[in-house]
Amino acid sequence: MIRNVGKLLDKRKVKKADIRQPDQDSKPEDPLDASFSRNVETFRSIYDKCSDVMFRSFLLFGKTQAMIIYIEGLSDIGGMEENVLSTLMQEKTVASQPLHEFLEHKLPVSKMKRVKTIAECIESISAGNPLLLYDGEGDGFSLGLSKWEKRAIEEPVAEGGIRGSREGFIESLVVNTAQLRRIIKSPALKIQSMKLGDYTKTTVAIAYIDGLVDMSLITEITERLQRIKMDGILESGYIEEMIEDNPYSPFPQIMSTERPDVASSSLLEGRAIILVEGTPFTLIAPISFFSLLQSQEDYYQRYMVGTVIRWLRYVFMVLSLLLPSLYVAILTFHAEAVPTALLLSMAASREAVPFPAIVEALIMEITFEALREAGVRLPKQIGSAVSIVGALVIGQASVQAGLVSAPMVIVVAITGISSFMMPRYIAGIAIRMLRFPMMLLAGTLGLLGVMMGVIAIAIHLCNLRSFGVPYLSPLAPMKSRELKDVLWRAPWWMMDSRPRLTGEANLYRESPEQGPKPNRGSEEQ
Amino acid sequence: MIKERGRVTVREKVNRHKSISIILLLLLTIPFMSGCWDRVEINDLAIVTAASIDKKDDGSIELSIQVFIPKSISSGGGEGGPSQGAGGATTLVKSDVGSNLSEALSKLQGKVPRKVFWGHCKVFVFGEGLAKEGIQEQLDFLLRHPQPRERANVYVSKGKGKAILESLPPLENYSGEVIKELSDLHLGLRVTLHNLDEMLTGNSQAVALPFIKILPPAKGEAKLQGIPYIFGTALFERDKMTGTMTEKETRGLLWLKDDMESYTVTLKPEGIEGLISINPISSRVRIIPYIVNGNWRVSVKVDTEGTVIQNGTKLNLTVPKSLKIAERTYQKDVEKRIRLTLLHLQGNGDDVIGLAKEFYRKYPKQFSEAENDWERIFEEMEVEVDVTSHIRRQGYINKPAGLPEKEVKDR
Repeated sequence: MIRNVGKLLDKRKVKKADIRQPDQDSKPEDPLDASFSRNVETFRSIYDKCSDVMFRSFLLFGKTQAMIIYIEGLSDIGGMEENVLSTLMQEKTVASQPLHEFLEHKLPVSKMKRVKTIAECIESISAGNPLLLYDGEGDGFSLGLSKWEKRAIEEPVAEGGIRGSREGFIESLVVNTAQLRRIIKSPALKIQSMKLGDYTKTTVAIAYIDGLVDMSLITEITERLQRIKMDGILESGYIEEMIEDNPYSPFPQIMSTERPDVASSSLLEGRAIILVEGTPFTLIAPISFFSLLQSQEDYYQRYMVGTVIRWLRYVFMVLSLLLPSLYVAILTFHAEAVPTALLLSMAASREAVPFPAIVEALIMEITFEALREAGVRLPKQIGSAVSIVGALVIGQASVQAGLVSAPMVIVVAITGISSFMMPRYIAGIAIRMLRFPMMLLAGTLGLLGVMMGVIAIAIHLCNLRSFGVPYLSPLAPMKSRELKDVLWRAPWWMMDSRPRLTGEANLYRESPEQGPKPNRGSEEQ
Repeated sequence: MIKERGRVTVREKVNRHKSISIILLLLLTIPFMSGCWDRVEINDLAIVTAASIDKKDDGSIELSIQVFIPKSISSGGGEGGPSQGAGGATTLVKSDVGSNLSEALSKLQGKVPRKVFWGHCKVFVFGEGLAKEGIQEQLDFLLRHPQPRERANVYVSKGKGKAILESLPPLENYSGEVIKELSDLHLGLRVTLHNLDEMLTGNSQAVALPFIKILPPAKGEAKLQGIPYIFGTALFERDKMTGTMTEKETRGLLWLKDDMESYTVTLKPEGIEGLISINPISSRVRIIPYIVNGNWRVSVKVDTEGTVIQNGTKLNLTVPKSLKIAERTYQKDVEKRIRLTLLHLQGNGDDVIGLAKEFYRKYPKQFSEAENDWERIFEEMEVEVDVTSHIRRQGYINKPAGLPEKEVKDR
């Protein structure tokens, strides 16, 4: 049997040849034909059985054949009629200059691009920019008249807050980059984009601030992005999984946010942002473990409040990982480790419970996870019903029926709440997942098992990197200068240095000695 | 050459995979092989809250344990909080006899359906009969066994220890808790298993343990509702009980051991009508041994501060002169108590204060020579008691309460 396992592992190692057949239709690099009718023929065959693609032919100067190709719903039909069709169809005098110059001068469209290959034409049409083809010169124009329905900018649902901007990213990449640019107006904010996905051709943009970021990071991100060869990118999660440093870790090595202010602050710290068309979740890289425990509001509130809340979060993170396993371990192996009075009352409440503590804990934790998952998926109205049923079933009925002890319910409730205290949802899930192996270890080996689990997790975390940045930095390796944003949230007038992520570019982010004092403003310096 | 090397690497890889998978499988078995089997749920534990060890007339050892009954304070799966029945006992006492403690225990285990768990037993009571014949043999079990705590308190009961366990105190959950709480008040001696072991192996080889008995139930209380309380001290020579000390003498012993915490000294100042009560708030006791010309002497220096808690005289204690009177009376009283205790100890020849250790530390050579003669030396030793006392606080009021201004004496 062991030999077979070995064989299986060996088979996996053989590298598969890339036998995938990418989208053939959109490959042609051929230039447009000189003949208008042949071009039209080509596009009609490309867009065969595409009922949403519109072909509108008309005559220029009453004699030259021309055609507009666009996708219904992606283009501004009003603008097209008003600015393109009416202008061109009313033109009667034959122009003396070459046709493309005439069109450039005549058309009141701000974004116009001359296209020469079929691939460019298809890209333009797919992006919603109507394609203007005309007879004679073997080229066409991509008219920047794309317009489609999009969601309004709303408050981010997954990352709410009391204080701070209420704007969130939306599904449209252009709007998202515009939001970034509105916050960071310097031209040093660079946004490079590329298209990923054979069929979806999703636009993916890397944003960074020139001079703050280590350029080798941008090179690395670009390279990793270009390695992605797949059918489609529907969400930034696809990209996240394809470019992580360690794909076998439960911990996220790239953070996602839907808040422009969080993205901007990361940019200012010298990180890079990856924006993906079609999702409000943008990626931030590189990150450290502690980034997952920081919320934007830590920086907007007074620093003392920020520090206290941050420590509360640290404590509850540990609780959400360890509380059920500690409870199980102490109850089954180390009864002498609890104060007598507490042990007696726990013994009293467990008296009627038919299960061992570990089984009881697993039942409750799994039920809680199920309820949480059900609550997330369901519409709001039913969601509240689920929570009522959950609270009644878990909280009361099971205790009254004697299936579960009351302290266990308290433990599960505290654990549940503490796992929601993580400001990054994804990090909370990682911790919640690890809770189950920890509970099994506690149920079999007691505190010894819990310690083994904690050590294993610590080793793993020390081993992890996010784009070359050690995951536990600045704690391990220790960088005392950066602890100001981990052990406490230093007041803004002391946050003088930027975190050192992959390089040492532009270390300081504010002038020194800005601590406010009375009368400071009126005094001459 | 290169090809061959490549082949070797592949074979090595295969081997490495095999070994990794073997290690993984072995690791997987760890949880199933070890922990599960000695896992004990709380439901399967008989939590011992107190234990007593008695000697029967036929020389056998009787072990009694007070076991907590979880059902008694549980909601039993029903509604409402802990419903503690008025008459319902929270503990049950089981006992069995054996030729020694461990045999008694193994027999006793046969009568209790759950595994006896010593981890929370904080009270061990030795019956008077056993104490008089020696406790060392049974102590060995308690210190050797991994579960009983070294910080558990040890007592000697007047009469049989089992009676202490059987009482059903109305205020606390079980009688073990009552004695433990009383010990925590520092009104009597507080000796743990660890202390006991230290005293037995120490230089003086004398032990003092708190002596407890049942306070008979008051009128209207049920028969078993009497509670155990500490009423004195049992004195041991080596591991055998030789005598007792009264409550009053115990106080002096507490002074000598620097363990005075909360008790009230009530004094009658000389030549003045009425009583003053004082609570010592801090005390520092130094025991200085010295040998002068072959004479073994010890000087006890006590530095104590007190607070007035009741003033029944007409003295105005804010006046330094009157305060001096009170302080001097306080000082005399403490000195008297200490002397009384020392007298008793010396008469008995029980060095429970640990003077032997003090001498050994300061004069190791002389002590080693005189060690065999220590008891005689102790009995004949000259003791100086030197008490300094101050009254620092007087509570909320200064002058005696409810006394017209002119009647207050300033003297």
